[in-house]
Amino acid sequence: MNLKAALSLRWVQALVVLVGWAVLATLLKGVQTQELSTSKDSPFTAVLREVASAIRGNRTESFLFVYVFNPIRAFISGFIELIMSVISVPADGNVIPLLGWFGTLVLIGFIVYATSNLRTALFSMFLLLICGMLGMWLITMDTLAMTIGAVVLSLAIALPLGVWAGVSDRVMSILRPWLDLAQVLPTLVYLAPLALVFLIGIASATIATMVYSIPICIRITAHAIKSLKRGPLEAAESVGSTRWQVLTKVQLPMAKRTIILAINQTTLAALSFVVIAALIGAPGLGKPVVEALTIRNVGDGVVAGLAVVLLAIMLDRSTTAAVMREEQGFAAAEEQKVRRRIGLVIAGVITVVAIYLSRQVLWFAVFPENLNFGEQVANVANSIEEWITSNLDFLTVGFSEWFTIWLLNPLEGVLANSPWWLTLIAITLLAFILAGRTVGILVFVLLALVMATGLWNDTMVTLAMTLIATAFVVLLGIILGVWAGRSERVDRFFKPFLDAGQTMPAFVYLVPVLALFGPTRFAAIVLGVVYAAPVVIRIVADGVRKVPKESVEAAISSGSTTMQVITKVQLPSSRRSILLGANQGLIFVLAVVVIGGFVGAGGLGYLVIVGQSKPELAGKGLAAGIAIVLLGIILDRIAQGRPQKQGPVGH
Amino acid sequence: MKRVGNGAGLVVALAVAGLALAACGGSVNEAASSSAPAPESSAAPAESSEAPAPAPADCGEWGVAMHAWVGYTASAQVLSDVAREKLGCTINQTQLDEAATTYDAMEAGSVDVIIEDWGGGRWQEWVDRGAIEEVGFNGNVGLIGMYVPQWMCDENPDITDGTKLNDYADLFKTPESGDKGAWLEGPPGYTTIGEKIIEAYGLNYEIINTGSETALIEAFTKGSEDKTPVLGYFYEPQNFLAKVPLCRINFPANDWTDAAKASGLTDYPETPLVKLATVKLMDSGSPFATLVANFEWTNEDQNQVALDIESGMSPEEAAKKWIDAHPEIVAQWLEGTGAS
Repeated sequence: MNLKAALSLRWVQALVVLVGWAVLATLLKGVQTQELSTSKDSPFTAVLREVASAIRGNRTESFLFVYVFNPIRAFISGFIELIMSVISVPADGNVIPLLGWFGTLVLIGFIVYATSNLRTALFSMFLLLICGMLGMWLITMDTLAMTIGAVVLSLAIALPLGVWAGVSDRVMSILRPWLDLAQVLPTLVYLAPLALVFLIGIASATIATMVYSIPICIRITAHAIKSLKRGPLEAAESVGSTRWQVLTKVQLPMAKRTIILAINQTTLAALSFVVIAALIGAPGLGKPVVEALTIRNVGDGVVAGLAVVLLAIMLDRSTTAAVMREEQGFAAAEEQKVRRRIGLVIAGVITVVAIYLSRQVLWFAVFPENLNFGEQVANVANSIEEWITSNLDFLTVGFSEWFTIWLLNPLEGVLANSPWWLTLIAITLLAFILAGRTVGILVFVLLALVMATGLWNDTMVTLAMTLIATAFVVLLGIILGVWAGRSERVDRFFKPFLDAGQTMPAFVYLVPVLALFGPTRFAAIVLGVVYAAPVVIRIVADGVRKVPKESVEAAISSGSTTMQVITKVQLPSSRRSILLGANQGLIFVLAVVVIGGFVGAGGLGYLVIVGQSKPELAGKGLAAGIAIVLLGIILDRIAQGRPQKQGPVGH
Repeated sequence: MKRVGNGAGLVVALAVAGLALAACGGSVNEAASSSAPAPESSAAPAESSEAPAPAPADCGEWGVAMHAWVGYTASAQVLSDVAREKLGCTINQTQLDEAATTYDAMEAGSVDVIIEDWGGGRWQEWVDRGAIEEVGFNGNVGLIGMYVPQWMCDENPDITDGTKLNDYADLFKTPESGDKGAWLEGPPGYTTIGEKIIEAYGLNYEIINTGSETALIEAFTKGSEDKTPVLGYFYEPQNFLAKVPLCRINFPANDWTDAAKASGLTDYPETPLVKLATVKLMDSGSPFATLVANFEWTNEDQNQVALDIESGMSPEEAAKKWIDAHPEIVAQWLEGTGAS
């Protein structure tokens, strides 16, 4: 009773703040909005511009560059190029890399077979074969090589750190803020500083990937080590094992499954960087995607994007299968083990033969041109795009205008076109009410920092887009997630689409989205929704699936309708998943809203992009990156809030 | 555990065997280097697959920056192919952002040539540090401006007078621009002075930063097909104009005789486009440096190649078509390189 009273009280408080905010914002429209024209610097951005210029000037002489950054760059490039020379880049004057396409294909199949099972191996080879048939063999291998390289380097750093953090709470508490930060950092943000220090190319792209994937891997590993049951540990300790023995003999083997899961997640994270990497001159599938954008050939972009998706599915399935095998492995019967060993030997012989063939016979060495259907696929994609843009735009234009006038503009009016101090106070109050005092103070400080960057207005424009896109994403996530969570069939039907949505680079659908919606903020919101929805759907579906069968059955047997089962049982019990989904959705949306800068959405995203190409605006670009990070932390903190509460600013 | 260990061991053993196998003995590589036509691979389009003509002097290995717009692609591809085929140079093309990103790459040594740069002097910082030098104009003349679809000029002849733009502001209103007309500004990295023009003439327009050339092209395409009013940044030479005719809004040119009035730019001037190269290349004595210095062609030349690329030819095919059709121009470029 008490709790309930408090709960309703907090909602009332929030509502009062919102109404007061809206009224004051309307009254004070356009006053002290801190709007800063694109070509002008704030004091802070001016300082950053000087810094950027100084770094450029020092790159060849300064001690730090000569002895630290440049060697790191050389090492990473060298490592990746080594892998490339095996599968993707022929040495000078050669036609094929060390291995021809067929040898590579069978070798990968063999590795998957050895770590999981024959079915997954054949499926993986099938997917790679399609990449080749799309005319993308060598480019796919470029991406694969970069992914492998980035994953190996990430694991080399993240696994030890993750284990350490799992064993020691102190280490974890030191690492946690950095892990949080890295996860809310949108990619485009650290591209500019990285390129400034490590120059464009493979090294910067790989480091950018590592910045993203290392925290994920540390978290999963630490969690795995930590969540082991105490029983075996105590048993080991009681027989007098040293700490090292406990770690290597008990904890690591038991955590193996989760560590492979970390590899799985790291791999997918690395792959999601393909296109971003191309923006800073790295080879791989992102290159044709970006090129296709410049000559507006949607078809070519789709073909390359498809290859990205196939590669992602292949890597996901094969590593997931490896996880599952680890789970079942111990139970295998002796007879099966013998069969498997024979299978491995046979597959090994086949692989050696395939490698030999791939170096001796042209047909097995260079992907045969008569198997290349890339152009046909591109043409089909182009016709589909043409049909959509010429037949559906009556729908889309009207909707986007209605949406902009009735939802986006009013929200932006309150956030961005009112006095900055009003917005600052209102958001801080909401944070206090929804997430408690600590978060409230943190949010206040962070907002003050945003103010100090001088990019207040742009930040609020971006915030408005992010909030609306997130609301959409959560709505979509709940509807489709519940549907998928309730039915195995629907889930299986969704899976390829979710995979595709999560891995298909946003750049591929930039052109159709532009053709449909024009250079608008709405186009950016659409990009964000398409990108973030799969994650939220997945998390919600997962939550719904985990609702105890007994409670669902009890509800059904007591005569509840399907709707009642969903609203009374399944949704409430998966509330935690929905909250987690909303939080993830928010971060994903923020990451893509930045790309909205490419489609006329303005805000911080545009400043990041323009800062990269205009030296005189480099300071603003870097400051915009900082503002995005601050915004990410603010949203993340409020959204995590108190477990009973949902969402950031309710609208 | 044992079983898994076996699996891993087998993988290692196989990898070793495979690599040993790979390293020894003849392979397609040797076969290909002795027997003629090497099959084309997707990652290395046309590069290195054609046997270069005997090189007059050792050309060396150089990097050419590839930028996002088709006109640039046309120029850079023709330059690269002439260098490869006539001078036997090894040319690496790198796709990357223009301006600072590329200047940085040039300073680091991975890129040597920008064949078309629009931004008057924005490279000065790099010139001062001795990394880059200007290598004259490439013959193309760029004209930036604010454009509307041709049909708007046909219906409202005086719309081309920039000072009267306020009369039409209502036409260009969108939900993005609120009460004002929408002024679609050029992509990041392109030279833009929209803010200054709007201020100079007190125009009732709101700047929308489009973020990419694709966004502008889509907007103009739609504006022409559906007859919706669009006012946006564009430039010539651009082969898109051959497909979707646009009409330029002219603002009064700066009055340079009156120092007070000439203080701010009020319309985009015609810009001769500049070639930039690394000091390393220009001082190397390579015939490629001479080729870069000689390279010069007209807007029309560039448009031919660009149009071929846009209509589905690969840049290599389009460049080859133009090179084969214009031996006399190519010969002029090769003067002083010792090749013909």
